[in-house]
Amino acid sequence: MAHPALDVLLKGSSGRSTRGLLRIIILCTIAAAAVSSRLFSVIRFESIIHEFDPWFNFRATKYLVQNGFYSFWDWFDDRTWHPLGRVTGGTLYPGLMVTSGVIYHVMRFLTFPVDIRNICVLLAPAFSGLTALAMYLLTSEMTTSPSAGLLAAAFMGITPGYISRSVAGSYDNEAIAIFLLVFTFFLWIKAVKNGSIMWGALTALFYGYMVSAWGGYVFITNLIPLHIFVLLCMGRYSSRLYISYTTWYALGTLASMQIPFVGFLPIRNSDHMSALGVFGLIQLVAFAEFVRGFLPGKQFQRLLTSMVLITFGLGFGMLVLLSVSGVIAPWSGRFYSLWDTAYAKVHIPIIASVSEHQPTAWPAFFFDLNFLIWLFPAGVYLCFQKLKDEHVFVVIYAVLSSYFAGVMVRLMLTLTPIVCVAAALALSAILDNFLVISAPTPPAKTDTNKSDKVKKPIGIYSYFSKTFVTCSAVLYLLIFVAHCTWVTSNAYSSPSVVLASKLPDGSQYIIDDYREAYYWLRQNTPDNAKIMSWWDYGYQIGGMADRPTLVDNNTWNNTHIATVGKAMSSREEVSYPILRQHDVDYVLVVFGGLLGYSGDDLNKFLWMVRIAEGIWPDEVSEREFFTARGEYRVDDEATPAMKNSLMYKMSYHNYQNLFPPGQAADRVRGTKLPADTPQLNTLDEAFTSENWIIRIYKVKDLDNFGRDHSSAVAFDKGHKKKRAAKKKGPRVLRTE
Amino acid sequence: MRLYTALLGLLAPSLCIAANPSLVKLPADFKVPQVFKNTNLVRNTNLEKAYVRETVNVVVENVDKQSQSDYYIPFPSKIFGRVGGFEVRDKKAPEKGRFEVDATEVDPSSGNQYFVVHLSEPLAPKAEITLGISYSILSSLHPRPATINQADQQYLSYTFSAYVPSAYQTVTQKTKLKFPSTKVPDYTTTSGIKTDSGEDPERKGTTYTYGPYNTAKVAPGTEHPITVRYEFTNPVITAHLLERDLEVSHWGGNLATEERYWLRNNGSQLINHFSRVEWTLANYQKLPSSAVREIVYPLQPGSVDPYFTDDIGNVSTSRFRPGTAKTPAHLELKPRYPIFGGWNYSFRVGWNQDLTRYLRRAVGGSDSYVLKVPFLEGPKVPEGVQYERVVVRVVLPEGAHNVRFQTVDGTASNGLPGANHITSHLSSLKTYMDTLGRTTLTLEVDSLTDEARNSQLVITYEHSLVDSLRKPATMFAGVLSVFVAAWLIGKIDISIKKR
Repeated sequence: MAHPALDVLLKGSSGRSTRGLLRIIILCTIAAAAVSSRLFSVIRFESIIHEFDPWFNFRATKYLVQNGFYSFWDWFDDRTWHPLGRVTGGTLYPGLMVTSGVIYHVMRFLTFPVDIRNICVLLAPAFSGLTALAMYLLTSEMTTSPSAGLLAAAFMGITPGYISRSVAGSYDNEAIAIFLLVFTFFLWIKAVKNGSIMWGALTALFYGYMVSAWGGYVFITNLIPLHIFVLLCMGRYSSRLYISYTTWYALGTLASMQIPFVGFLPIRNSDHMSALGVFGLIQLVAFAEFVRGFLPGKQFQRLLTSMVLITFGLGFGMLVLLSVSGVIAPWSGRFYSLWDTAYAKVHIPIIASVSEHQPTAWPAFFFDLNFLIWLFPAGVYLCFQKLKDEHVFVVIYAVLSSYFAGVMVRLMLTLTPIVCVAAALALSAILDNFLVISAPTPPAKTDTNKSDKVKKPIGIYSYFSKTFVTCSAVLYLLIFVAHCTWVTSNAYSSPSVVLASKLPDGSQYIIDDYREAYYWLRQNTPDNAKIMSWWDYGYQIGGMADRPTLVDNNTWNNTHIATVGKAMSSREEVSYPILRQHDVDYVLVVFGGLLGYSGDDLNKFLWMVRIAEGIWPDEVSEREFFTARGEYRVDDEATPAMKNSLMYKMSYHNYQNLFPPGQAADRVRGTKLPADTPQLNTLDEAFTSENWIIRIYKVKDLDNFGRDHSSAVAFDKGHKKKRAAKKKGPRVLRTE
Repeated sequence: MRLYTALLGLLAPSLCIAANPSLVKLPADFKVPQVFKNTNLVRNTNLEKAYVRETVNVVVENVDKQSQSDYYIPFPSKIFGRVGGFEVRDKKAPEKGRFEVDATEVDPSSGNQYFVVHLSEPLAPKAEITLGISYSILSSLHPRPATINQADQQYLSYTFSAYVPSAYQTVTQKTKLKFPSTKVPDYTTTSGIKTDSGEDPERKGTTYTYGPYNTAKVAPGTEHPITVRYEFTNPVITAHLLERDLEVSHWGGNLATEERYWLRNNGSQLINHFSRVEWTLANYQKLPSSAVREIVYPLQPGSVDPYFTDDIGNVSTSRFRPGTAKTPAHLELKPRYPIFGGWNYSFRVGWNQDLTRYLRRAVGGSDSYVLKVPFLEGPKVPEGVQYERVVVRVVLPEGAHNVRFQTVDGTASNGLPGANHITSHLSSLKTYMDTLGRTTLTLEVDSLTDEARNSQLVITYEHSLVDSLRKPATMFAGVLSVFVAAWLIGKIDISIKKR
C-alpha cells in the first residue's frame, strides 16, 4: 500500500525519530504562530508598552537595569504616592522584571545592543511560545494519544482568552505567569505520577518562580492541596502522593517566603491554610497507613476514628483561635468578592471600579474560547472515563476555574489552559477514531472460536461518517483560527495609549494625545512637579512623563485615593487647600467630549465620588450629583454640586470658546452644554492636547495681596475690561 | 576630481589625527603688538536668522618695520565661547583656503580673548592685505519683551558696538545691518560721530547702515553701544546638544545615521499659559507664530527607512516624503506639541543610506578607503538653527586602523571652524558580537549654526580582508562552541544507579 521508502521513514526505530522530528517541527511552528499572532499592535502601531499596569512594570524594569538588583530589592519610590512614597521593592512581584533584566544582561553580554523597551514589549509573545510547549507537555501526560498534546499546544497558542493578556506590549505579570502556571502543573502531574522527589522539587522551584511573578500563585497553592485532598477522599493514598506533596509543600513554601511581598503570608494568611492543612492531613494518613500494618482491623478502626475527630477538632479550634486573635490574617477583600459578586461594590468600591474585576458576561466565553468552550465538557467527561490521578486534577481544575471565570473577567485567563487541555482531549479522541482510513481490523483469529456472534470489533466503518465528521472538525478548526485572528486583531491589539482612527480618505490617523501631554510634562515642567490625576493614569504619568504622582494604579492606600476623589468632586474652595497641602503643581484630567472618547474622567467621576464618600460621608454625597429625577447630567440641568465640582470645571473650562456661541456640545454624553464656560479661580489652564483628551492645569500660587482667588479673579476681570476699552488711546507712562 | 583633491589634502601635512584644540597661554603683561593698522573696515551683520551672522572685510596694513604674520582679533570673553564657525581668508584670493587660527586664553588687562590669525605668508612692511572674517554669534539675540501673549508678535533685540572691536587702530569703518523685515520699532541713533552729515543709521529697506566713522583718533577697544529691536515672529531654535552617529557597515553596504537633538526655543515665553483654543484658531488662519510648528528636514537622495522618535516612542505626527535616487527626500517633523519660547523638545531621527555613494577605495592601496559624508545635516528652516554643541561619531568597521579625517574646504566658508578647533578622539565600540570593537572617531565642535549644513567630512582608513572576515569567523566559532557544549553536556551521566 505505502511506498517502501516511506515505510523506512515511518516504521520501526527510524519511524520513531521521524515522528519525533515532525513533532518538534510542528511545535516550533505552533510557537512561531503563537508569537506572530501577538504582533498585530507592533506592526500596526509601534513597539510600545500598552495600557496602564505595564507602564509601571516597565518603569520598574528600567530601574532594575539601571541600578542593579539590590537597590531594586530595597527600592523606596518617593515619586509615587506623594507625600507618602511607596516601598516598591517590597510591594511588587519581581519575577517579571527580573526575567527581563536577566534577558537584557545576557543580550548585553553577547554584545547585542538591544533596547530594554523591546525586551519588555516582546516578552509576552516569547513566553506564549513557551506556554504552547508547556501545554504540549501537560496534555501529553493526560493521554496516550500523540495528537492531543499538539492540538492543545495549538489551541493555547492562539486562543484569544490567553492572547488578551499577552499581546506584544502587554508587559504584565500574566505575560510570564501563565507559562509558569502551566509548566508547574505539568511538573506536578509528573511528580504525582512518578512519586519522584526530583519532579516534586522541580515543581517547588517553578512554584517559587510563579510566586515571584504573579499574585495568582494562590490558585496553585490551593489547587494542588485540593487535588491531594480529593485523591485521599477517594481512598487513593499512596507513597507517590506523600513524596510529591511533602516535597512540593516544604520546598515551595520556603521558596515563596523569599519574596518580600509574600513574606510570612504562607503561614499566616487564610488563603494559604488549605495547603498547610492538607500537609498535616497527609502526615496523619501516612501515619495511619503505617500503623495499619501492625494493628488488627478493629482496633485500627477505633484508633482512626478517634484520631480523625481529635485532629479535626484541634485543627479547627486552632484556626478559629488564631483568626480571632489576628495571628492569621483574615481573608482579603478580593477573596470575598470571589464568592459574593456584590461584596466589592458595597464594601470596597475601589476594587469594583476596575472593569476587569466585573463578573463575566456569557458571550465573553464564546468570544474568548470559541468552539473550545463546547468541547470543554466533552473533554472533562473523557477524563471521568479514565479517572487516573492526573484526570482527577483536570476535573478539579475545570470545576474551580469555571466558577472563578464566571465571577471575574480577568480570571478567564486561568480557565483558558484547562479548556485547551480538555478540548484537545475531546477533539483528539474524535480525530483518532474518525481519521483512520482502514476499517477496524477484526480481532485475531484465536478469538473466533470462543464466541462468534458478540466479538464484532467496535469502530467506524462508514466512509461517509468518517468524511463528514473529519470535515466538520476541520471546518470548526478553520473557523476557530479565523475567529482567533479576528478577535486578536480587533479587540486585543490596541495599545490604548495610542488611538487609531481613519481619515475620510481611508488613511490611518493616529490620535496620540496621551503621549503629547505626557511628553509636554516631561520636557517643560520641573523635575519634581507633583501631578494630581485620577489613579488610572498614575502609572502612565510615572512611566511616560516621569513626574511624581499622588496616586497610581497600585491602589494600596484607599484614603489617599479618596482624598484625590474629594478634591476632584468638591467645590474649588474645598479643593484648593487639599491641593496646597499635597504640594500639587499640576492637575491632569482626561476629557473625551470633543472626540467622543468615552473612557474619560467625567464618565469615571461617580467612582471618585463614591470612593470619597466612603471616607467622608458628610462632605461628599453621591446623591447630590444626580438630578431630582435621578439622572447624571452635565448640561444646563446639572446639579449645583456637579457644576461646582473641580472635575466638571476642569473638563469644560474654555471648551465653549471652541464653538460658535451656544453651540458647544459634548460628544460623549451627547448633550448640549451651557452657553458659558465654567469659571476656574484657583487653577490656570497650562496645556491641552490636540484633541482635548488630556487637559493639564497649573495650581495657582497664593495671591500676592492675600485675597482669595475668586475675588482676585473677579478684580482682574473687571480690570481687564477697563483696559480693553482704554487700549485705543495713547500709551500712558505710569510713574509710581 | 573632488576625490582627488581630497586625497591631495590628505597627503598634505595639514591633516590632523586626534588633535585637540588648546588655548594659547598669554603672558601676564600681554599687549597686542601694534604692528598693523586697519585702513578700512566694513562689517555686515545679518539678523535674518535666529542667530547673528557677521562678515567683516578689513584692509590691513603692516605698520611695523618687519614682516608680520600674526593678526589678533579680540572678542569679550563672555561671548568668545559663543562665536561659531570662525574663518579668515584672504579676500582677494579666497580659493587659497582659510588661514590657520588659534584661540588664546583671557587677556586679564582687557578681559578679551583673541583669535590669532596666522597669515600664510608674512606681510611685508607697508604692504596691505584684505581679510575676510566670517563667524556667527550664538544666543546673542534676546527677546524683548521677554514674555508675550500667545498670538503676539515677537521682537528680538541685539546690542553691539558701533565701533567694531579690534586690537588695532582703525581708520574708517561702517556696519551694515540686515533685518528680516522693515519692522524695526527701536534702534539707537547716534549724533556727531559720523564722518559725513546725514542721519545715522542710514535706512534703506531692511538694511540699516551705521557709519562710516572716522576712528583714526579713537583708541582700539572703545565701545559705542548700539541696540536694535526688530520683529522676528519665528522660533529661535537652539539645540543645546546634537549627537550625530554615522555607522559604516561594509558587509551590509549601509550607512546608518542617527541624530539626537535636545532643542529649545529661546524666543519670548508665554505670559499666560498655553491656550489650545487660540492655537487652533491661529493654525486655522495660518498666522505666523513664535512657536515651532513643523521642522522640515531634507535628507540626502537615496535615504530610506527614516524614523522620528523621542523618549516615549514614535512621534506619529511626522511625515516622510521619499525622494528618488537624484532628488532629496523630505522628512517633515512635527513635534508632539508646538514648541513655544522656553519650551524644550528632545527627539531622535535616523535613516539608512546606500554606502556606495559615500565610500570609495582609495586610489593608492587596495585596503584603504575614503569616506565622504556631510559633517552636519540638520533641519532646513528659514529662521535657522543654532547648535551649542555638536558631537559627531563615526563608527567605522571593526579593525579599521590608520584613521585620518579632514573637512573639505572650498572657496567659500563652510560654516565650520578650522580643523584645530574640532576636538577628536578615537575609541572602540563593542556591539553585535564584536571581538575587538569598532573603531570610532568622535568629533566635537562647539557653537555651530546651520551654515555648516553643506560641509563635508572626509575620513580615510585602512581595512583589510582579514578584518572583514573576523565577524564570520567569530560567528562560526560561537555556534560551534554552542554545539560542542551541548554535546559535552549530553555526554555527562548524572544517574545515581550503577552501570
